[in-house]
Amino acid sequence: MKGILGLAFEGLLRKKGRNLLTMSGVLIGVFALTMIVSLGEGLAHAVTDTVSGQDNLRQVGVTGGFGIELSNDPFDVSIEGEMPDDRRERLRRAAVNRRQIRQWYGRRVTQVTEETMATLATLPHVESISPVIVERYEVKVGEFESGPKLSFGVDVAQRRYEGRIIAGSYFSAPDAGEVILHEYLLYKWGMLEGDDYSGVLGKKISLKSIINEQDPAANAPPQMQGFMEGLTPEEREAAMKLLPRLMGMAQQTRKPVEREFTVVGVMRETIPGDPLNIIEDGQSVQADVFLPLETARAMFEESAVNAQLGYPAAVVIVDSPDNAPGVEQAVRDKGFTAFSVASVLKQVETMLTVITVIIAFLTGIALIVSTLGIVNTMITSVLERTREIGIFKAVGATNAQVMAVFLTESAMIGLVGGLLGLGLAVLAMLPGDAIGGAMIAERAAIPYRGNVFVLPMWLAVAGPALGAVTAVLAAIVPARRAARIDPVKALRHD
Amino acid sequence: MALVEATRLWREYHLGGEVVEALRGIDLNIEQGEFVALLGRSGSGKSTLLNLLGGLDRPSRGSIRVNGVELAEMSKTELSLYRRTTVGFIFQSFNLVTSLRAWENVALPLVFQGIGRFERRKRAHGLLERVGLGKRANHVPSEMSGGEQQRVAIARALVNDPKLLLCDEPTGNLDTATSEQIMALLDESHRAGTTLVMVTHDPELAEKHTQRTLKMADGQFLTEVAA
Repeated sequence: MKGILGLAFEGLLRKKGRNLLTMSGVLIGVFALTMIVSLGEGLAHAVTDTVSGQDNLRQVGVTGGFGIELSNDPFDVSIEGEMPDDRRERLRRAAVNRRQIRQWYGRRVTQVTEETMATLATLPHVESISPVIVERYEVKVGEFESGPKLSFGVDVAQRRYEGRIIAGSYFSAPDAGEVILHEYLLYKWGMLEGDDYSGVLGKKISLKSIINEQDPAANAPPQMQGFMEGLTPEEREAAMKLLPRLMGMAQQTRKPVEREFTVVGVMRETIPGDPLNIIEDGQSVQADVFLPLETARAMFEESAVNAQLGYPAAVVIVDSPDNAPGVEQAVRDKGFTAFSVASVLKQVETMLTVITVIIAFLTGIALIVSTLGIVNTMITSVLERTREIGIFKAVGATNAQVMAVFLTESAMIGLVGGLLGLGLAVLAMLPGDAIGGAMIAERAAIPYRGNVFVLPMWLAVAGPALGAVTAVLAAIVPARRAARIDPVKALRHD
Repeated sequence: MALVEATRLWREYHLGGEVVEALRGIDLNIEQGEFVALLGRSGSGKSTLLNLLGGLDRPSRGSIRVNGVELAEMSKTELSLYRRTTVGFIFQSFNLVTSLRAWENVALPLVFQGIGRFERRKRAHGLLERVGLGKRANHVPSEMSGGEQQRVAIARALVNDPKLLLCDEPTGNLDTATSEQIMALLDESHRAGTTLVMVTHDPELAEKHTQRTLKMADGQFLTEVAA
C-alpha cells in the first residue's frame, strides 16, 4: 500500500497546476463549511456564556398561574345537526369563545405562598426556593418625598449588587435596618450635580405602604397593576369585581405598613459588564429602593392581603442546568406559570443549530461543485495515463490495485485541499473574531469577550475528512474505468 | 517437462460485426530453458500469441498451460497474479513510466507485490548493475538513450525473477550496435535458465540467438525451423 501511495503522489506531481486547481475547489468548500459551522458554534457559545453566569441556567422563575386542566380542551367542541361547513365552523367558534370565558370564571388560581413554595421545594432536582419581593412604598427621607416607588428584596449574602454601590456602602448585615437607594431616585429628588449624596446617606428613611380607598384597582397586587392600566373607570370597577374571583382575593382593605430604616448606600443603574441574573433583573429593573430580602419579606407579610395573595414570584434553584427545563415543566404541572433561561437557551441553541445546518448544507454545494471538478480531473487523468495503466497491469497490478492508485490520488487532493481549507479558515477566524466581536459589542447590550468563531475539535477532524471522502467518492467512477482498461489495448495506446 | 503447452488455441476478435481470427488452432510446446523466436509479418498473430502466453489476454477457445496451470480458466485477478509472479515483459517501445526514475521503473512490479521501499530499491539497484546502468538509477527515461531505456525495461522484466520472459520486438527501435547489447543481455538471462519467447520479423536475429524459430502467418505456424 505504501508503494501505491508513492505512485499516487508521483501521479499528482505530474500535473501540478491542474491538481492544484482541483484542490482549490475542495479548499474553498471545506473553508466555507468550517467557517459557517464555527460561526454557529461560536454564536451558541456566546449565547451560553452570556447567560450561564450567576446561576442563570439553574433558575426557574415561578409566578402564580391559572391552573389549566388539559382534559378541558377549549377547542374540543362538536356542533350537532345537518348544516353547511361554514355555519358549523362559526358555531364551533362561538361555542369555544363562550366556553373559554366560562373557564376563566371557573379556574382555580395557584398562588406563590409559603405553602405552595413548600410543595415546589420537594420536587426532584430542586435545591432551594426563595420568594421575589417587589412592593410599592411611599418613600420619605428628610425633606425628600416620593409617591409609590418600587422596592426590591436583595439576598444580602449573594453580594450581587455590591459592585453597583457608588456612594456609601453595601448592606453590613441582613438585619441591620439598612436601605440602599437608586441613583435615579436621587436624581429625581434634585441631586443633579456631582456625586455628593450626603443629603441622604446615613439619614433615616421611612417606607409606607399605599392605601387608596377611592380606587380599589390601586390596591391590587403589583403583578396586576399593569393589567389595570389603560382601563376606563367603568372597566376598572368591573375588573375589581372580577379580580377576587380571578385571584381568589379576599375583599379586605389593606392594613398600612410603615417602617423606618437608615440609608447606607447609593446604587447605580446596571451597565454592560455587570453580573447578569436574567430572572432577578427582570423583577428589580425598575426598583428605586433596595432592602435586605428578609426585611422586605417581613414588611410584605405584614399586609393581610399580601399574606393571602402570596408573593409576586419565586425563584427555584435547580441542582443542574440540564434539569431546569424538566423542573420548569413540573412547576407548570402544579398550576404555576414558570420560566427558565435554560429552556429558552435550549430553544435558541436548537434554532442556531437548525440555521447552521441549513447554511452548512447550502455551503456544501461548493463542495459538490468541487466534486464535479475532481470527476473531470480524474477522467482526464485516466485517459492521459492509459498506457501507464497498461504497464501497471503488465507488471502484475490487479484491477483493485489500479483503482487504488487513482482513488488514493483523489483522496490526497481532497485531504490536502481540506487541510488547506481548514488552515485558511483558522487564519480567517483571527480577523473574523475581531470584526464579529466588534459588531456584537455594537449591537448587543451585553459585552461578549469570547470568540465569535469557535472551531470544535470534531470539525477540525471532520472538515478535511469530508474533503477526502467526497474526493474518493468523486473518483470512484473514473478509477473503476481505469481498472477495467484492457491491458493489450492500453499498451498499444499512444 | 514443457513449461508451455498450448493446444488448439484460438483467438478471435469482433471488429464491427466482422470476426477477425488472429490465432487459428495453434498447438505449441516450449520446454523449460528454451529460447524461441516467433517470426512473421505484422498481423500474422505472433503478438496475439505472446499476449496469451503473458496472460494479458485470454483465448477464445483451446487450452494454454504455463508451468502446469491453465490460463484459459483464470479470472482477471488470477491472471494479474500470474503476470506478477511468472512472467516478464519486454516491449519494442520500452513502455517505461516516463515520470519515474530508472530504479523506480525497475521496482514497479515490486510495488504491486507489496514489497517495502528499502527492499525495492536494493533489488532495483542490483538489476541495474547487472544491465550496466548502475550509475543511471536516478535518471528518468527522457534522460536516457533508447538502448539504455530498453536495458531498464529488461531489468524491470527480470526483477520478479520470472520463469518466462516475453519479448515483443525488443530491438525493433534500436540500431544494430545497441541491438547487439540488448540481445547479449537476453542471451545472458537465457544462459541463467530463463525461458524466452521473442517476437521478431528479423530472421537473422532469430537464427543467431534462438534455438527454435516458429514462423507464423494468418494465425498459424508455417514451419518450424530448428537452429
